[in-house]
Amino acid sequence: MNALLRHKYATTAIIWALLLTVPAWLPVFGGYTALAGRVLVFGLAAMSFNLLLGFTGIMSFGHAAYFGLGAYGCGLFLKYVSASTPLAMLAGTLLGGIAGTLFGLLLVRRRGVYFAMVTIAFGQVCFYIAYKWDDFTGGYDGLRGFARAALDFGAFKIDIANNSTAFYFFILAVFGGAAVLQALLLKSPFGRSMLAIRENERRARFLGLPIEKHIWLSFSISCFFTALAGSLYALLNNFADPLGLNYIMSGNIVMITVMGGMRAFWGPLIGAVLFVALQDYVSSMTTNWMFFVGLTFVCVVLFFPRGLMGMFQKGART
Amino acid sequence: MTPKLEIRGATKAFGSLIAVSDVSMTVQSGELRAVIGPNGAGKTTYFNLITGFFPPTSGEILLDGQNINRVPAAGRVKLGMGRTFQITEIFPELTVRENARIAVETGQGYSLRFWLNAGDRKRIDDACDEVLEMARLTAKADRLVGELSHGDQRAAEIAMALALKPSLLLLDEPTAGMGDEETYQVTGLIRRLHRDSKYTIVLIEHDMRVVFHLADRISVLAEGKLLAEGTPEQIAANEVVQNAYLGKAE
Amino acid sequence: MFQVVMFNLTNGLIVGAFYVLMALGLSMIINLSNVVNFAHGNFLALGGYFAFMLTPYVGFWGALLISPLLTAVVGYAIEQILIKHVYARNHIYSLLLTFGLGFILQDVCRFFWGPSPLPLGIPDSLSTPITADLFFITWYRVFMVAVVIVAVTGLFAFLRYTRVGMRIRAGTLDLDTVSALGVNVAALRSYNFAVGSYLAGLAGVLAAGQIGLNPNMGDDLIMPSFIAIIVGGVGSLTGTLLGGLLIGVAAALTTVFYPAASEAVIYVIMAVVLLLRPRGLLGEEGMLS
Repeated sequence: MNALLRHKYATTAIIWALLLTVPAWLPVFGGYTALAGRVLVFGLAAMSFNLLLGFTGIMSFGHAAYFGLGAYGCGLFLKYVSASTPLAMLAGTLLGGIAGTLFGLLLVRRRGVYFAMVTIAFGQVCFYIAYKWDDFTGGYDGLRGFARAALDFGAFKIDIANNSTAFYFFILAVFGGAAVLQALLLKSPFGRSMLAIRENERRARFLGLPIEKHIWLSFSISCFFTALAGSLYALLNNFADPLGLNYIMSGNIVMITVMGGMRAFWGPLIGAVLFVALQDYVSSMTTNWMFFVGLTFVCVVLFFPRGLMGMFQKGART
Repeated sequence: MTPKLEIRGATKAFGSLIAVSDVSMTVQSGELRAVIGPNGAGKTTYFNLITGFFPPTSGEILLDGQNINRVPAAGRVKLGMGRTFQITEIFPELTVRENARIAVETGQGYSLRFWLNAGDRKRIDDACDEVLEMARLTAKADRLVGELSHGDQRAAEIAMALALKPSLLLLDEPTAGMGDEETYQVTGLIRRLHRDSKYTIVLIEHDMRVVFHLADRISVLAEGKLLAEGTPEQIAANEVVQNAYLGKAE
Repeated sequence: MFQVVMFNLTNGLIVGAFYVLMALGLSMIINLSNVVNFAHGNFLALGGYFAFMLTPYVGFWGALLISPLLTAVVGYAIEQILIKHVYARNHIYSLLLTFGLGFILQDVCRFFWGPSPLPLGIPDSLSTPITADLFFITWYRVFMVAVVIVAVTGLFAFLRYTRVGMRIRAGTLDLDTVSALGVNVAALRSYNFAVGSYLAGLAGVLAAGQIGLNPNMGDDLIMPSFIAIIVGGVGSLTGTLLGGLLIGVAAALTTVFYPAASEAVIYVIMAVVLLLRPRGLLGEEGMLS
């Protein structure tokens, strides 16, 4: 156990050390800082999704909806309301989180494949709205015409709008805050009740746990975090894309999680590294990127179902 | 004194099939009652009636003198009926302590909390230590339950039931599928809970050896009916029981 | 006005018929194997492209007979090679697997037949309108609906009267018992997957004759098929049939009165059903939880 704990602390320390020094070492490998920002955003989305898949044992296949709503909420706020980056992020997080909370009410009694199907359908509803509501959301072309604004603390400003390193550290700060909150959540009694539902729903019910309420809450929390990641995504691109709401995006979030390892806290972040690297590499190499991405999905499912982190963990089963 | 648990003429019919027919039983506080019977005698249905898996077709189930016919299973757990399952129900990929802790936190109403203060944490830790000690699992507290032996898994399941501070423990074939050594371990645990900790226990069992050395009183079911009831000595000497049950090869 | 209503009503029936064919295949696979086949739309495209290849040699009629069978064979092979390995695992893996498979199949179609739309030639006798007044209703449209009716009737007869069909139905209700009776569940699931693929292939040929071919032609049909299953109720094929027709016709009728909402109405129907009757129109209680 102590060895296991040491192992966990060591992993966490290494990950933070690497993240904090990205601007120093990434260019050496030919990467650029915005790429690392994308890793953090997808990593946060997948870690938030994994609160459901890996830690509550519930399978949503529509998380792009909350990611995308986060992006649109943030972009729309910047475009139509006020050029305040923090408030825009709050708006995006609330939009996606509240939508998820409401959808969650219709979901909690469903399980397994059926739960997944309904989440897909809800996701498509959001995609469809963003796609059709041209004048407001930009429709097919996506939402443009907004830009992240520098952070103004009165006494000093942080120019995240133009300074890419400053913006990276801004994303890292938000990511870090969210990751700490998620870690605390998983260590709380509520977090343990999520694990109990994952492990054995029937047993948990017979302990007197109100399963539906807990699944709903866990779904809602997951959606708020996912929407936060989405709002960062809008800031990253200064653009909100209707395809970000599509079920293909949902599939990518699931894939990132599984590829990295859904039973490990940092698994989805590792998955995001692999995914962003793969996407960047394959799409620059061949026009048949769908074939190779699809092949990767199939291979991961068949040969590496526990993901990269899972291969180094003992005990956990698929 | 009001009996802990009283069953009055319980009957359960599934369509035309009568699985349990007019069975009565009174369990006093502190008593260890075994319900035995050959396979197909209606033991499981009877157990399900008591735990609230379904309501009886007729008859009454009283807990501390209160009719609980209409109280569903989860509600009966809240009223103090702790239970274990025939197939051990645990959280396999969590440690023994986490299993106990989830039960403690749920039982004491902490499960919706996102943080704990030092006082709460101490209260929960102490309660976990206590039930793990009772189940003799302290030394294995940090092992994953799924990796433990069958007997230890059963002990962990019983520890989870104890964490809810039940006033009545219902055990569904606690030694099912176990070898001699594990059976010995689990019956030892049940005996300690009964003699030292004064729990009221009802257990369903078809392994006769387990029951005769453990129970204060035994109810024998056969074909859905109560065939006999008495102390282990009386049951052993009862010819009807011998013909119906002991005569058959188990 | 009459013509507009008729136009949209027949359109709705046809679109609904497509949803039904797609959704029935998907539904069969979900019911017996608990796999949501994301690649189902790509099987549809495959059926269409097979017909495109075969038409020059065997004509439209020959292609209509052979292409769905070829699709079924491909489905059977894919089930054997890939999908059967994930039945025992967490559902997330079957979703991811078929999701990736969809990507692969789409790119395979693009690789062999190119990204641009292709037409599928249909016999002249089918491309003429049935009357001058109803010039928009070609015989092909009537023919499509007829084929769907025949196929659905055939499917229900297959499930009711053949040995394999009866076992599939029994397996849907209680797989453990069927397995305990000595039925080879693995083989049953393979046949079932092949039948589902056959239906997708058939829908592909019919669709290709109407709207032509492109590599992602199935994508627009897969989501309404999911919704048809949710609306009809998971576990009930009759429910799926009803759900498919309902959303097809509802979407078409909405086109008459308020075209902008023609797709939205599908989602509205789903939301209403989920709110008022969570298990779907004909769904069984146990299937949902």
